[in-house]
Amino acid sequence: MRIEFSGDGIYLPDLDLWLDPRRECRRAWISHAHRDHAGAVHREVFATAETLEFYRLRHEGALENSALHAVPYGQARELAGARLTAYPAAHILGAAQLLIEWRGERLLYTGDIKLRSPICGRSTELVRADRLIIESTFGLPVFHFLDRQQARDRIVSFARQCLEENRVPVFLGHELGRGQEIAHVLGQAGVPIQVHPAIARYLPAYAAAGFPTPGWSVYEGEVAAGAALILPPRLRSSLPSGSRRLRVAYVSGWAALDNARARTGAEELIPYSDHADFDELMAIVEAVGAHEVDVVHGYTDAFARILTLRGWLARAPQQARLEERNG
Amino acid sequence: MDALAAIAERVASRNSRLEKIRCIAGYLSSLSDEDLPRALRFLSGRPFGPRDARRLAVGHASLREAVVAAGGWDPETVRLCIREVGDIGEAVSLLMRGKTEGQPLSLGEAERLYAELARSRRAEQKENLLRECFLRYRPLALKYFVKVITGDLRIGLQAKMLEEAVALAAGADPAEVRQAVRRTGDLAETALAARRGELEQISPHLFRPVDFMLARPIASAAEIPDPENWLIEDKYDGIRAQAHVADGRAALFSRGFAEVTAAFPELVAALERLLGSAILDGEIVAWRGGRVLPFSALQQRLARKEVPLFLPLETPAAFIAYDLLLRDGRELLDRPIEERRVELERLLAAAGEPLLVAPQFTVAGRDELERLFEQARARGNEGLVLKRRGSRYEAGRRGGAWLKWKRPLATLDVVITAAEQGHGKRAGVLSDYTFAVRAGDRFVNVGKAYSGLTDEEIRELTERLRELAVARAGPLLIVRPEIVLEVAFNGVQKSARHDSGFALRFPRIVRWRRDKRPDQTDDLDRVREIYRRQSSVSGP
Repeated sequence: MRIEFSGDGIYLPDLDLWLDPRRECRRAWISHAHRDHAGAVHREVFATAETLEFYRLRHEGALENSALHAVPYGQARELAGARLTAYPAAHILGAAQLLIEWRGERLLYTGDIKLRSPICGRSTELVRADRLIIESTFGLPVFHFLDRQQARDRIVSFARQCLEENRVPVFLGHELGRGQEIAHVLGQAGVPIQVHPAIARYLPAYAAAGFPTPGWSVYEGEVAAGAALILPPRLRSSLPSGSRRLRVAYVSGWAALDNARARTGAEELIPYSDHADFDELMAIVEAVGAHEVDVVHGYTDAFARILTLRGWLARAPQQARLEERNG
Repeated sequence: MDALAAIAERVASRNSRLEKIRCIAGYLSSLSDEDLPRALRFLSGRPFGPRDARRLAVGHASLREAVVAAGGWDPETVRLCIREVGDIGEAVSLLMRGKTEGQPLSLGEAERLYAELARSRRAEQKENLLRECFLRYRPLALKYFVKVITGDLRIGLQAKMLEEAVALAAGADPAEVRQAVRRTGDLAETALAARRGELEQISPHLFRPVDFMLARPIASAAEIPDPENWLIEDKYDGIRAQAHVADGRAALFSRGFAEVTAAFPELVAALERLLGSAILDGEIVAWRGGRVLPFSALQQRLARKEVPLFLPLETPAAFIAYDLLLRDGRELLDRPIEERRVELERLLAAAGEPLLVAPQFTVAGRDELERLFEQARARGNEGLVLKRRGSRYEAGRRGGAWLKWKRPLATLDVVITAAEQGHGKRAGVLSDYTFAVRAGDRFVNVGKAYSGLTDEEIRELTERLRELAVARAGPLLIVRPEIVLEVAFNGVQKSARHDSGFALRFPRIVRWRRDKRPDQTDDLDRVREIYRRQSSVSGP
């Protein structure tokens, strides 16, 4: 099976199928609904039902000419002579890996993935493949993340401690995925919460999938005493700076490094991610058992080199292209 | 070290000054008399006490080698990890996670290990010892064990906060602790005295150097809004030194508390003739014909440990005094500068060469200040030192009551290797640049600069840099080394932050050198040379 990598995404010419294309195209597989994967409108879209729901929210009113095909987890479907099967990837609600079987060859595309169980959503199921395309957002051995129980405990105890000190705990978490998980954890623990609208808009879908958040209200720019506040990280600067009333926690894979404090202004770092940390990435590569590995996103060169040193045939194709273009 | 590391992590996760202090104070209270000085040294980022002449001499490269060997990572991965983490101690702890025996590390054992590192002569020996440590102790303890080696804990803990924690832990008055530290230059000794309730008994000891007051660098007269409020002296190109005199005996100490008495017998002889007791602060300079000669003329004398039988024919030295810290048992640190000056002039009134008093000037405005600077340069001096009227002698502080203004060193041509968005009005553009010099066929970073270009140039550079991007690391855009800048700076220091092992102090961009190619930039040898030349013993 031919695979073409470019700045626009990954293209499988034998199937005329793009994987997470950044630009409009004829036929696309969308692994999950984050902007850098689901930012463009395509004529035909294959994705899980949850991802499609987020996709509709993201592109409201712009999908009249698009055919959206829901691909349930674990059920194979035919496309251009290939068999496509989606498997959970645990990244955010609806995230999926795609297994493509074509003329006896098995290609697995992870999309964004983690191996630890998520707070909300299904745990990753790994399948074997001959060829693997894997992400490496945190593909350096300095990244070590908490599992979900540790993360829950850290989130809840930080919130309670702040509230006891009459201060407002502020959690910075990505607007789709982490934000809802933090809300769910705090809601379940009985902590009152204010949720920024950018995060709140996805809460109903999480509730429908079995991860409800009791006791939240919409944050409208007025910080309430006695409640935790959940904000997308980019809105950190909208908070009054230097306020003694607030204490900020950053919940992210980047919070594994102390330099996250300087970057985000957060005091508390909670290294919980919707991506795999380094050891998880290695475990995924080993479990899939592919003899050829392509690394996309993040520390691609570094992770591909580590894999190569450990005996895999590994490459960082998109990085190579980018350098070619510059050189 | 495990408990210290846990406390340091808590301190790092608190923005509130008071909470940090409470945290440290609680920890200090729990320590034995033996561990208290160790903990305070380590929390100050020092393996040894301030008067200890031992140096670890453990470089960035040795730490890197040790983690390569201990962790089984390839050197390139380690290099990249250190760059991404931005702190070698933190990187070591993250790279050793799950690979160590997890033994506890006591403060006493850490002290013993630092001593062994200092004793080891060859890098190989040091690397072996570090590798064993990395495999033995818990990752979190390793993080701070290494941070003490690199000299900065980076947990937002200033020296002043440590003093307050010492006071809080001992139930002592913070102001008294501060004064005691100033007198002795030694926080650990002060902490023990505070614990015993013996703070009042602490005073500057003759023949034990007091911490030097330091001057903050400024780049131009524009930084002085009120020139009339300052007392001004020339900045001499010499060796900063403290003279201790009592009853016909004299000693000279340079920065770093090294005794240099033996190197300057003619100064010692003159000092011994002074009456009573005193501690003087000043500068040892090469002196001929009423002028200061370049510092290099003195350097060879510094190495001397014993007074030679016959004084060789060499450059004569003078001691230019500019402050008086103690006089006949009276401590003067907290007296205003004007009063100390009067006492100093009285003490040296009859002395004459080679004991001089630094001429002092005042100005009415910035124009006069500029003229004075040019005159100082014309006299062969480096520039000016400005001392705020009414100020006290703040031992060990670079607090802003003293300012130094000298011409920047020669500039360096460097190449941009990474860029980052700025803040505020520069949020949308790449305005923070990491830059490098050549080292063989690659480039090694030596600093980061934020200022010096026009908004228009920054916009243009932003576009160029985006085209040159090869990778992104968090907020950092890694670029192909193409763009050459000329940077000015106030000095070169050793640094674990950059892969060159050096960092420029206060770098500022002079201009964008569009006429230069990356292979025409300066190289690491030049940086090393500048580092060697700017002796750390020179100047306030």
